[in-house]
Amino acid sequence: MKLKCHKIQRLLSDYIDETLSEQQAADVALHLRACPPCRREAAALKKTCNLIENFYVGPEAPDAYYTRFTTELQRRIEHMPPTAIHQLLRAVSTRVGWQLSTRLYRFVDRYLSIGHLFIRQRALPYYIVLLTMTTLFVVPFLLKQVPHSSLNTHPPVSVHPAATLVIEQDTDAGQPVGRHHNMNRALSPSEGSSGESRIVSSLGTDFWQFTDEPITEGYIFTRHRQNSSGEVPSVALANREGTHKGTHLPGLFSIDSALIAYAEIPTQSVLLEELLGRDVLSEGTYAMLLVQSIRGGRHALQQYKRKRSGFKGFARKLLDVPLEILSITEVHDSIEL
Amino acid sequence: MERTEALLIADLCEGDETALAPLVEKYKRMVYRLAMQITKNHEDADDVMQETFIKVYQSIHTFRKDAAFETWLYRITVNEALNFVKRRERRRECAIETAKESEFDPVARHRAQMASDPHVQAEQAELRHWVTEAVNSLSLKHRTVVILHEFEGLTHAEIASILSCAEGTVRSRLHYARKELRTLLKPYVDASSEPL
Repeated sequence: MKLKCHKIQRLLSDYIDETLSEQQAADVALHLRACPPCRREAAALKKTCNLIENFYVGPEAPDAYYTRFTTELQRRIEHMPPTAIHQLLRAVSTRVGWQLSTRLYRFVDRYLSIGHLFIRQRALPYYIVLLTMTTLFVVPFLLKQVPHSSLNTHPPVSVHPAATLVIEQDTDAGQPVGRHHNMNRALSPSEGSSGESRIVSSLGTDFWQFTDEPITEGYIFTRHRQNSSGEVPSVALANREGTHKGTHLPGLFSIDSALIAYAEIPTQSVLLEELLGRDVLSEGTYAMLLVQSIRGGRHALQQYKRKRSGFKGFARKLLDVPLEILSITEVHDSIEL
Repeated sequence: MERTEALLIADLCEGDETALAPLVEKYKRMVYRLAMQITKNHEDADDVMQETFIKVYQSIHTFRKDAAFETWLYRITVNEALNFVKRRERRRECAIETAKESEFDPVARHRAQMASDPHVQAEQAELRHWVTEAVNSLSLKHRTVVILHEFEGLTHAEIASILSCAEGTVRSRLHYARKELRTLLKPYVDASSEPL
Protein backbone atom coordinates (compact mmCIF):
# COMPACT_ATOMS: atom_id res chain seq x y z
CA MET A 1 0.00 0.00 0.00
CA LYS A 2 1.41 3.35 -0.97
CA LEU A 3 0.98 6.08 1.62
CA LYS A 4 1.43 9.79 1.13
CA CYS A 5 4.03 11.79 3.03
CA HIS A 6 1.67 13.49 5.47
CA LYS A 7 0.17 10.14 6.46
CA ILE A 8 3.63 8.65 6.88
CA GLN A 9 4.75 11.52 9.08
CA ARG A 10 1.82 10.94 11.41
CA LEU A 11 3.00 7.36 11.84
CA LEU A 12 6.66 8.20 12.44
CA SER A 13 6.34 8.51 16.20
CA ASP A 14 4.80 5.05 16.47
CA TYR A 15 7.34 3.75 13.95
CA ILE A 16 10.15 4.89 16.23
CA ASP A 17 8.44 3.29 19.22
CA GLU A 18 7.92 0.12 17.16
CA THR A 19 4.25 0.01 18.03
CA LEU A 20 2.96 -0.19 14.46
CA SER A 21 1.58 -3.36 12.98
CA GLU A 22 3.89 -5.36 10.76
CA GLN A 23 2.10 -4.21 7.64
CA GLN A 24 2.18 -0.55 8.63
CA ALA A 25 5.84 -0.75 9.65
CA ALA A 26 6.71 -2.32 6.30
CA ASP A 27 4.80 0.41 4.45
CA VAL A 28 6.57 3.14 6.39
CA ALA A 29 10.00 1.55 5.85
CA LEU A 30 9.29 1.24 2.12
CA HIS A 31 8.26 4.85 1.93
CA LEU A 32 11.27 6.07 3.88
CA ARG A 33 13.62 4.33 1.48
CA ALA A 34 12.09 6.19 -1.43
CA CYS A 35 11.40 9.58 0.16
CA PRO A 36 14.41 11.65 1.40
CA PRO A 37 12.32 14.39 3.18
CA CYS A 38 10.41 11.83 5.21
CA ARG A 39 13.62 10.00 5.95
CA ARG A 40 15.16 13.21 7.27
CA GLU A 41 12.07 13.86 9.36
CA ALA A 42 12.20 10.36 10.81
CA ALA A 43 15.90 10.71 11.58
CA ALA A 44 15.32 14.04 13.28
CA LEU A 45 12.56 12.60 15.46
CA LYS A 46 14.69 9.64 16.36
CA LYS A 47 17.54 11.95 17.27
CA THR A 48 15.20 14.03 19.39
CA CYS A 49 14.10 10.94 21.29
CA ASN A 50 17.71 9.95 21.85
CA LEU A 51 18.57 13.43 23.12
CA ILE A 52 15.72 13.35 25.63
CA GLU A 53 16.55 9.86 26.72
CA ASN A 54 20.25 10.58 27.24
CA PHE A 55 20.36 14.18 28.33
CA TYR A 56 17.20 14.89 30.24
CA VAL A 57 17.99 15.44 33.89
CA GLY A 58 15.24 14.12 36.10
CA PRO A 59 14.56 15.88 39.35
CA GLU A 60 16.04 14.36 42.43
CA ALA A 61 15.93 15.41 46.04
CA PRO A 62 18.61 14.88 48.68
CA ASP A 63 18.18 12.02 51.12
CA ALA A 64 17.65 14.45 53.98
CA TYR A 65 14.47 15.60 52.30
CA TYR A 66 13.03 12.08 52.15
CA THR A 67 13.77 11.59 55.83
CA ARG A 68 11.93 14.80 56.67
CA PHE A 69 9.12 13.80 54.37
CA THR A 70 8.63 10.38 55.98
CA THR A 71 8.55 11.92 59.45
CA GLU A 72 6.05 14.56 58.37
CA LEU A 73 3.81 11.98 56.67
CA GLN A 74 3.81 9.80 59.76
CA ARG A 75 2.88 12.80 61.90
CA ARG A 76 0.02 13.73 59.56
CA ILE A 77 -1.40 10.21 59.59
CA GLU A 78 -1.24 10.04 63.38
CA HIS A 79 -3.02 13.38 63.71
CA MET A 80 -5.58 12.80 61.03
CA PRO A 81 -9.09 13.81 62.11
CA PRO A 82 -11.56 11.05 62.83
CA THR A 83 -12.83 9.49 59.69
CA ALA A 84 -16.38 10.28 58.65
CA ILE A 85 -18.83 7.72 59.93
CA HIS A 86 -19.66 6.30 56.52
CA GLN A 87 -15.98 5.94 55.67
CA LEU A 88 -15.41 4.28 58.99
CA LEU A 89 -18.26 1.86 58.42
CA ARG A 90 -17.02 1.10 54.94
CA ALA A 91 -13.52 0.45 56.21
CA VAL A 92 -14.78 -1.79 58.99
CA SER A 93 -17.02 -3.75 56.63
CA THR A 94 -14.14 -4.16 54.21
CA ARG A 95 -11.88 -5.41 56.95
CA VAL A 96 -14.47 -7.81 58.29
CA GLY A 97 -15.27 -9.03 54.77
CA TRP A 98 -11.61 -9.54 54.03
CA GLN A 99 -11.01 -11.42 57.23
CA LEU A 100 -14.05 -13.61 56.72
CA SER A 101 -13.21 -14.40 53.13
CA THR A 102 -9.62 -15.21 54.04
CA ARG A 103 -10.69 -17.53 56.82
CA LEU A 104 -13.32 -19.14 54.65
CA TYR A 105 -10.75 -19.73 51.95
CA ARG A 106 -8.35 -21.28 54.42
CA PHE A 107 -11.12 -23.49 55.73
CA VAL A 108 -12.10 -24.60 52.24
CA ASP A 109 -8.50 -25.09 51.23
CA ARG A 110 -7.84 -27.17 54.30
CA TYR A 111 -10.74 -29.54 53.98
CA LEU A 112 -11.10 -29.69 50.23
CA SER A 113 -7.99 -30.78 48.46
CA ILE A 114 -9.52 -29.76 45.15
CA GLY A 115 -10.48 -26.37 46.49
CA HIS A 116 -7.66 -24.62 44.73
CA LEU A 117 -8.97 -25.85 41.42
CA PHE A 118 -12.24 -24.03 41.79
CA ILE A 119 -11.69 -21.25 44.27
CA ARG A 120 -8.80 -18.87 44.00
CA GLN A 121 -8.04 -16.72 46.97
CA ARG A 122 -8.33 -13.50 45.01
CA ALA A 123 -11.64 -14.48 43.47
CA LEU A 124 -13.26 -15.72 46.67
CA PRO A 125 -14.66 -12.36 47.79
CA TYR A 126 -16.27 -12.01 44.38
CA TYR A 127 -17.85 -15.43 44.73
CA ILE A 128 -19.31 -14.40 48.07
CA VAL A 129 -20.64 -11.12 46.67
CA LEU A 130 -22.11 -12.99 43.71
CA LEU A 131 -23.81 -15.49 45.98
CA THR A 132 -25.25 -12.71 48.15
CA MET A 133 -26.51 -10.79 45.13
CA THR A 134 -28.10 -13.94 43.77
CA THR A 135 -29.86 -14.59 47.04
CA LEU A 136 -31.05 -11.00 47.41
CA PHE A 137 -32.22 -10.31 43.88
CA VAL A 138 -32.81 -13.49 41.95
CA VAL A 139 -34.88 -15.33 44.54
CA PRO A 140 -37.44 -12.52 45.01
CA PHE A 141 -37.54 -12.17 41.24
CA LEU A 142 -38.31 -15.85 40.84
CA LEU A 143 -40.97 -15.65 43.51
CA LYS A 144 -42.63 -12.87 41.53
CA GLN A 145 -42.86 -15.16 38.56
CA VAL A 146 -45.19 -17.49 40.40
CA PRO A 147 -48.59 -17.06 38.79
CA HIS A 148 -50.80 -14.76 40.75
CA SER A 149 -53.74 -17.09 40.48
CA SER A 150 -51.84 -19.87 42.24
CA LEU A 151 -51.30 -17.61 45.26
CA ASN A 152 -54.76 -16.16 45.32
CA THR A 153 -57.02 -18.14 47.59
CA HIS A 154 -60.08 -16.00 46.97
CA PRO A 155 -62.83 -17.30 44.76
CA PRO A 156 -62.66 -16.01 41.19
CA VAL A 157 -64.74 -13.02 40.26
CA SER A 158 -67.62 -13.81 38.02
CA VAL A 159 -67.98 -11.31 35.21
CA HIS A 160 -70.74 -11.81 32.74
CA PRO A 161 -69.69 -10.71 29.27
CA ALA A 162 -73.07 -9.21 28.54
CA ALA A 163 -73.37 -7.37 31.80
CA THR A 164 -74.14 -3.71 31.83
CA LEU A 165 -72.39 -1.84 34.54
CA VAL A 166 -74.11 0.99 36.27
CA ILE A 167 -72.30 3.20 38.70
CA GLU A 168 -74.28 4.81 41.40
CA GLN A 169 -72.83 7.72 43.25
CA ASP A 170 -73.53 8.77 46.79
CA THR A 171 -74.32 12.37 47.57
CA ASP A 172 -70.98 13.24 49.06
CA ALA A 173 -70.66 15.85 46.34
CA GLY A 174 -67.30 17.14 45.28
CA GLN A 175 -65.34 14.30 46.78
CA PRO A 176 -63.95 11.72 44.44
CA VAL A 177 -65.59 8.44 45.06
CA GLY A 178 -63.39 5.69 46.27
CA ARG A 179 -60.78 7.81 48.01
CA HIS A 180 -60.95 5.69 51.10
CA HIS A 181 -62.91 2.86 49.73
CA ASN A 182 -61.88 -0.30 48.14
CA MET A 183 -64.25 -2.31 46.15
CA ASN A 184 -65.01 -5.83 47.07
CA ARG A 185 -67.31 -8.21 45.51
CA ALA A 186 -70.34 -8.63 47.70
CA LEU A 187 -72.42 -11.68 47.95
CA SER A 188 -75.74 -10.33 46.88
CA PRO A 189 -77.43 -7.12 45.84
CA SER A 190 -79.41 -7.00 49.02
CA GLU A 191 -76.31 -6.41 51.07
CA GLY A 192 -75.62 -3.05 49.43
CA SER A 193 -76.90 0.10 51.01
CA SER A 194 -78.33 2.89 48.92
CA GLY A 195 -76.06 5.56 50.39
CA GLU A 196 -72.85 3.97 49.23
CA SER A 197 -71.18 4.12 45.88
CA ARG A 198 -71.63 0.93 44.03
CA ILE A 199 -71.51 -0.62 40.68
CA VAL A 200 -74.28 -2.96 39.87
CA SER A 201 -74.64 -5.20 36.94
CA SER A 202 -77.96 -4.92 35.21
CA LEU A 203 -78.41 -8.63 35.38
CA GLY A 204 -78.14 -8.54 39.12
CA THR A 205 -75.88 -11.52 39.21
CA ASP A 206 -72.82 -9.59 40.30
CA PHE A 207 -72.84 -6.89 42.87
CA TRP A 208 -69.89 -4.57 43.51
CA GLN A 209 -69.71 -2.38 46.50
CA PHE A 210 -67.24 0.11 47.98
CA THR A 211 -66.22 -0.89 51.43
CA ASP A 212 -63.48 -0.02 53.88
CA GLU A 213 -62.17 -3.53 53.89
CA PRO A 214 -58.79 -4.36 52.46
CA ILE A 215 -58.52 -5.11 48.80
CA THR A 216 -58.88 -8.74 48.05
CA GLU A 217 -60.04 -9.27 44.53
CA GLY A 218 -59.94 -5.96 42.76
CA TYR A 219 -60.99 -2.36 42.89
CA ILE A 220 -62.50 0.29 40.75
CA PHE A 221 -62.31 4.01 41.36
CA THR A 222 -64.40 6.62 39.74
CA ARG A 223 -64.31 10.35 39.62
CA HIS A 224 -67.25 12.27 38.42
CA ARG A 225 -67.43 15.62 36.77
CA GLN A 226 -69.69 18.09 38.37
CA ASN A 227 -72.21 19.56 36.02
CA SER A 228 -73.21 23.21 35.95
CA SER A 229 -75.80 22.77 38.65
CA GLY A 230 -73.24 21.38 41.03
CA GLU A 231 -74.67 17.92 41.04
CA VAL A 232 -72.62 14.89 40.51
CA PRO A 233 -73.91 12.80 37.64
CA SER A 234 -74.80 9.37 38.73
CA VAL A 235 -74.28 7.47 35.54
CA ALA A 236 -70.99 6.49 34.12
CA LEU A 237 -71.31 3.46 31.99
CA ALA A 238 -74.58 2.26 30.70
CA ASN A 239 -76.18 0.26 28.01
CA ARG A 240 -78.12 2.98 26.26
CA GLU A 241 -77.54 3.12 22.61
CA GLY A 242 -76.12 0.96 19.92
CA THR A 243 -73.25 -1.42 20.17
CA HIS A 244 -69.70 -0.53 20.93
CA LYS A 245 -67.52 -0.86 17.89
CA GLY A 246 -65.22 -3.82 17.92
CA THR A 247 -66.64 -5.47 21.02
CA HIS A 248 -69.55 -7.60 21.97
CA LEU A 249 -70.60 -4.98 24.42
CA PRO A 250 -73.39 -2.55 24.22
CA GLY A 251 -72.29 0.94 23.22
CA LEU A 252 -70.66 3.41 25.53
CA PHE A 253 -72.55 6.39 24.21
CA SER A 254 -74.26 9.01 26.31
CA ILE A 255 -71.68 8.92 29.01
CA ASP A 256 -71.81 12.32 30.58
CA SER A 257 -69.14 11.94 33.16
CA ALA A 258 -65.66 10.62 33.25
CA LEU A 259 -65.22 7.17 34.51
CA ILE A 260 -61.84 5.99 35.46
CA ALA A 261 -61.80 2.44 36.48
CA TYR A 262 -58.71 0.69 37.67
CA ALA A 263 -59.29 -2.91 38.34
CA GLU A 264 -57.35 -5.98 39.07
CA ILE A 265 -58.06 -8.39 36.30
CA PRO A 266 -59.85 -11.37 37.73
CA THR A 267 -59.06 -14.89 36.83
CA GLN A 268 -61.28 -14.69 33.80
CA SER A 269 -59.16 -11.90 32.36
CA VAL A 270 -60.27 -12.80 28.86
CA LEU A 271 -63.84 -12.17 29.84
CA LEU A 272 -62.97 -8.83 31.38
CA GLU A 273 -61.07 -7.71 28.36
CA GLU A 274 -63.95 -8.80 26.25
CA LEU A 275 -66.20 -6.85 28.51
CA LEU A 276 -64.16 -3.72 28.39
CA GLY A 277 -63.05 -4.05 24.80
CA ARG A 278 -60.39 -1.70 23.63
CA ASP A 279 -60.95 0.58 26.56
CA VAL A 280 -58.78 -1.47 28.80
CA LEU A 281 -55.12 -0.81 29.32
CA SER A 282 -53.58 -3.73 31.03
CA GLU A 283 -50.37 -3.94 32.93
CA GLY A 284 -49.62 -7.29 34.43
CA THR A 285 -52.53 -8.24 36.61
CA TYR A 286 -54.01 -4.75 36.55
CA ALA A 287 -56.09 -2.88 34.05
CA MET A 288 -57.35 0.64 33.78
CA LEU A 289 -60.47 1.67 32.04
CA LEU A 290 -60.60 5.27 30.97
CA VAL A 291 -63.77 6.43 29.43
CA GLN A 292 -64.40 9.97 28.37
CA SER A 293 -67.24 11.38 26.46
CA ILE A 294 -66.38 14.67 24.89
CA ARG A 295 -68.86 16.88 23.24
CA GLY A 296 -68.28 20.34 21.94
CA GLY A 297 -64.94 20.14 20.21
CA ARG A 298 -61.93 22.13 21.37
CA HIS A 299 -63.51 23.61 24.44
CA ALA A 300 -64.47 20.20 25.72
CA LEU A 301 -61.02 18.88 24.98
CA GLN A 302 -59.43 21.62 27.05
CA GLN A 303 -61.88 20.88 29.79
CA TYR A 304 -60.93 17.26 29.59
CA LYS A 305 -57.24 18.06 29.82
CA ARG A 306 -57.80 20.13 32.93
CA LYS A 307 -59.78 17.33 34.44
CA ARG A 308 -57.22 14.76 33.52
CA SER A 309 -54.39 16.69 35.13
CA GLY A 310 -56.43 16.67 38.30
CA PHE A 311 -57.07 13.00 37.96
CA LYS A 312 -53.40 12.20 37.71
CA GLY A 313 -52.62 13.42 41.19
CA PHE A 314 -55.77 11.89 42.50
CA ALA A 315 -54.94 8.52 41.11
CA ARG A 316 -51.41 8.64 42.42
CA LYS A 317 -52.71 9.27 45.89
CA LEU A 318 -55.19 6.49 45.64
CA LEU A 319 -53.32 3.80 43.91
CA ASP A 320 -49.90 2.59 43.31
CA VAL A 321 -50.61 2.85 39.63
CA PRO A 322 -47.73 2.04 37.31
CA LEU A 323 -46.67 5.30 35.74
CA GLU A 324 -46.65 3.72 32.31
CA ILE A 325 -50.40 3.48 32.53
CA LEU A 326 -50.83 7.09 33.53
CA SER A 327 -48.53 8.42 30.89
CA ILE A 328 -51.15 8.49 28.19
CA THR A 329 -50.72 11.90 26.65
CA GLU A 330 -53.84 12.32 24.57
CA VAL A 331 -57.15 10.61 24.93
CA HIS A 332 -59.99 12.04 22.96
CA ASP A 333 -62.67 9.51 23.37
CA SER A 334 -63.19 5.96 24.37
CA ILE A 335 -62.86 4.55 20.88
CA GLU A 336 -59.45 6.10 20.31
CA LEU A 337 -58.14 4.40 23.38
CA MET B 1 11.05 -11.24 57.84
CA GLU B 2 10.49 -8.75 55.05
CA ARG B 3 6.92 -8.60 53.88
CA THR B 4 6.09 -8.77 50.20
CA GLU B 5 4.26 -5.93 48.51
CA ALA B 6 1.02 -7.93 48.28
CA LEU B 7 1.23 -8.72 51.99
CA LEU B 8 1.91 -5.08 52.82
CA ILE B 9 -1.16 -4.03 50.85
CA ALA B 10 -3.31 -6.68 52.51
CA ASP B 11 -2.07 -5.57 55.94
CA LEU B 12 -2.75 -1.94 55.10
CA CYS B 13 -6.26 -2.95 54.06
CA GLU B 14 -6.75 -4.51 57.44
CA GLY B 15 -5.70 -1.27 59.15
CA ASP B 16 -2.07 -2.01 59.89
CA GLU B 17 -0.51 1.46 59.65
CA THR B 18 3.03 0.10 59.86
CA ALA B 19 2.55 -1.41 56.42
CA LEU B 20 2.56 2.05 54.87
CA ALA B 21 6.15 2.92 55.74
CA PRO B 22 7.82 0.22 53.58
CA LEU B 23 5.57 1.19 50.66
CA VAL B 24 6.54 4.84 51.09
CA GLU B 25 10.18 3.88 51.27
CA LYS B 26 9.94 1.88 48.06
CA TYR B 27 8.03 4.41 45.97
CA LYS B 28 8.91 7.81 47.41
CA ARG B 29 11.55 8.62 44.79
CA MET B 30 9.30 7.63 41.93
CA VAL B 31 6.42 9.69 43.30
CA TYR B 32 8.63 12.70 43.95
CA ARG B 33 10.21 12.54 40.50
CA LEU B 34 6.84 12.35 38.79
CA ALA B 35 5.29 15.08 40.92
CA MET B 36 8.28 17.34 40.38
CA GLN B 37 8.27 16.77 36.63
CA ILE B 38 4.62 17.71 36.37
CA THR B 39 4.49 20.57 38.85
CA LYS B 40 8.05 21.85 38.21
CA ASN B 41 8.21 23.17 41.73
CA HIS B 42 9.59 21.48 44.81
CA GLU B 43 7.06 22.85 47.27
CA ASP B 44 4.19 21.71 45.08
CA ALA B 45 5.82 18.35 44.50
CA ASP B 46 6.17 17.93 48.25
CA ASP B 47 2.47 18.65 48.74
CA VAL B 48 1.53 16.28 45.92
CA MET B 49 3.67 13.59 47.49
CA GLN B 50 2.02 14.03 50.88
CA GLU B 51 -1.46 13.96 49.39
CA THR B 52 -0.63 10.93 47.27
CA PHE B 53 0.46 8.78 50.18
CA ILE B 54 -2.40 10.02 52.37
CA LYS B 55 -4.75 8.98 49.59
CA VAL B 56 -3.08 5.59 49.35
CA TYR B 57 -3.57 5.16 53.08
CA GLN B 58 -7.22 6.20 52.97
CA SER B 59 -8.25 4.48 49.75
CA ILE B 60 -6.26 1.29 49.84
CA HIS B 61 -9.51 -0.68 50.23
CA THR B 62 -10.57 0.52 46.76
CA PHE B 63 -7.43 -0.90 45.19
CA ARG B 64 -8.21 -3.94 43.09
CA LYS B 65 -5.94 -6.70 44.26
CA ASP B 66 -5.45 -8.07 40.76
CA ALA B 67 -4.14 -4.74 39.44
CA ALA B 68 -0.56 -3.48 39.63
CA PHE B 69 0.01 -1.30 42.68
CA GLU B 70 2.59 0.74 40.83
CA THR B 71 0.13 1.69 38.06
CA TRP B 72 -2.45 2.60 40.69
CA LEU B 73 0.12 4.77 42.44
CA TYR B 74 1.06 6.39 39.12
CA ARG B 75 -2.59 7.24 38.55
CA ILE B 76 -3.00 8.82 41.97
CA THR B 77 0.22 10.79 41.65
CA VAL B 78 -0.51 12.07 38.16
CA ASN B 79 -4.06 13.04 39.05
CA GLU B 80 -2.96 14.80 42.22
CA ALA B 81 -0.20 16.64 40.38
CA LEU B 82 -2.45 17.65 37.50
CA ASN B 83 -5.10 18.89 39.93
CA PHE B 84 -2.44 20.79 41.80
CA VAL B 85 -1.15 22.48 38.67
CA LYS B 86 -4.69 23.35 37.56
CA ARG B 87 -5.46 24.86 40.95
CA ARG B 88 -2.22 26.77 40.89
CA GLU B 89 -2.87 28.11 37.42
CA ARG B 90 -6.30 29.20 38.54
CA ARG B 91 -4.67 31.13 41.32
CA ARG B 92 -2.29 32.60 38.74
CA GLU B 93 0.66 31.55 40.77
CA CYS B 94 2.46 29.80 38.00
CA ALA B 95 5.94 29.18 39.23
CA ILE B 96 7.56 28.73 35.85
CA GLU B 97 8.90 32.23 35.60
CA THR B 98 9.64 32.60 39.26
CA ALA B 99 11.43 29.33 39.67
CA LYS B 100 14.53 30.05 41.57
CA GLU B 101 17.66 28.07 41.78
CA SER B 102 17.72 25.78 44.74
CA GLU B 103 19.06 22.46 45.82
CA PHE B 104 16.02 20.84 44.19
CA ASP B 105 16.38 22.47 40.79
CA PRO B 106 17.98 19.89 38.47
CA VAL B 107 19.41 22.51 36.13
CA ALA B 108 20.86 24.41 39.04
CA ARG B 109 22.35 21.22 40.38
CA HIS B 110 24.04 20.59 37.06
CA ARG B 111 25.34 24.09 36.89
CA ALA B 112 26.72 23.64 40.34
CA GLN B 113 28.15 20.28 39.33
CA MET B 114 29.71 21.83 36.25
CA ALA B 115 31.24 24.55 38.32
CA SER B 116 32.58 22.18 40.91
CA ASP B 117 33.79 19.58 38.44
CA PRO B 118 36.19 21.06 35.91
CA HIS B 119 36.25 17.84 33.92
CA VAL B 120 32.61 17.94 32.96
CA GLN B 121 32.42 19.06 29.42
CA ALA B 122 30.73 22.36 29.01
CA GLU B 123 29.04 21.30 25.81
CA GLN B 124 27.31 18.31 27.39
CA ALA B 125 26.23 20.31 30.35
CA GLU B 126 24.68 22.86 28.06
CA LEU B 127 22.88 20.13 26.16
CA ARG B 128 21.46 18.72 29.37
CA HIS B 129 20.32 22.14 30.33
CA TRP B 130 18.52 22.79 27.04
CA VAL B 131 16.94 19.34 26.83
CA THR B 132 15.58 19.69 30.35
CA GLU B 133 14.34 23.18 29.61
CA ALA B 134 12.69 21.98 26.40
CA VAL B 135 10.79 19.22 28.19
CA ASN B 136 9.75 21.59 30.96
CA SER B 137 8.47 24.10 28.44
CA LEU B 138 5.97 21.63 26.93
CA SER B 139 2.31 22.06 27.71
CA LEU B 140 1.01 20.15 30.72
CA LYS B 141 -0.70 17.46 28.65
CA HIS B 142 2.27 16.90 26.37
CA ARG B 143 4.75 16.98 29.21
CA THR B 144 2.81 14.41 31.22
CA VAL B 145 2.72 11.97 28.32
CA VAL B 146 6.40 12.46 27.51
CA ILE B 147 7.40 11.93 31.14
CA LEU B 148 5.33 8.80 31.53
CA HIS B 149 6.49 7.33 28.24
CA GLU B 150 10.10 8.42 27.90
CA PHE B 151 11.23 8.47 31.51
CA GLU B 152 8.90 6.12 33.33
CA GLY B 153 8.80 3.67 30.44
CA LEU B 154 5.04 3.12 30.47
CA THR B 155 3.23 1.82 27.40
CA HIS B 156 0.58 3.75 25.53
CA ALA B 157 -2.14 1.58 27.04
CA GLU B 158 -0.90 2.14 30.58
CA ILE B 159 -0.71 5.88 30.06
CA ALA B 160 -4.21 5.89 28.60
CA SER B 161 -5.42 4.03 31.67
CA ILE B 162 -3.70 6.47 34.04
CA LEU B 163 -4.95 9.58 32.25
CA SER B 164 -8.39 8.08 31.58
CA CYS B 165 -8.22 8.81 27.87
CA ALA B 166 -8.05 6.85 24.63
CA GLU B 167 -4.86 5.18 23.53
CA GLY B 168 -5.04 7.12 20.28
CA THR B 169 -5.05 10.36 22.26
CA VAL B 170 -1.84 9.30 23.99
CA ARG B 171 -0.19 8.48 20.67
CA SER B 172 -1.28 11.78 19.22
CA ARG B 173 -0.03 13.80 22.20
CA LEU B 174 3.28 11.98 22.13
CA HIS B 175 3.68 12.63 18.43
CA TYR B 176 3.01 16.35 18.72
CA ALA B 177 5.18 16.64 21.84
CA ARG B 178 8.09 15.08 19.98
CA LYS B 179 7.60 17.40 17.06
CA GLU B 180 7.62 20.36 19.39
CA LEU B 181 10.72 19.10 21.12
CA ARG B 182 12.36 18.64 17.79
CA THR B 183 11.66 22.29 16.96
CA LEU B 184 12.94 23.46 20.33
CA LEU B 185 16.12 21.41 20.05
CA LYS B 186 16.63 22.02 16.35
CA PRO B 187 20.25 23.21 16.56
CA TYR B 188 21.29 20.08 18.44
CA VAL B 189 19.22 17.75 16.29
CA ASP B 190 20.49 19.16 13.01
CA ALA B 191 24.05 19.10 14.26
CA SER B 192 24.21 15.34 14.27
CA SER B 193 21.41 13.81 12.25
CA GLU B 194 21.93 10.14 11.96
CA PRO B 195 20.17 7.74 9.58
CA LEU B 196 17.57 5.39 10.96
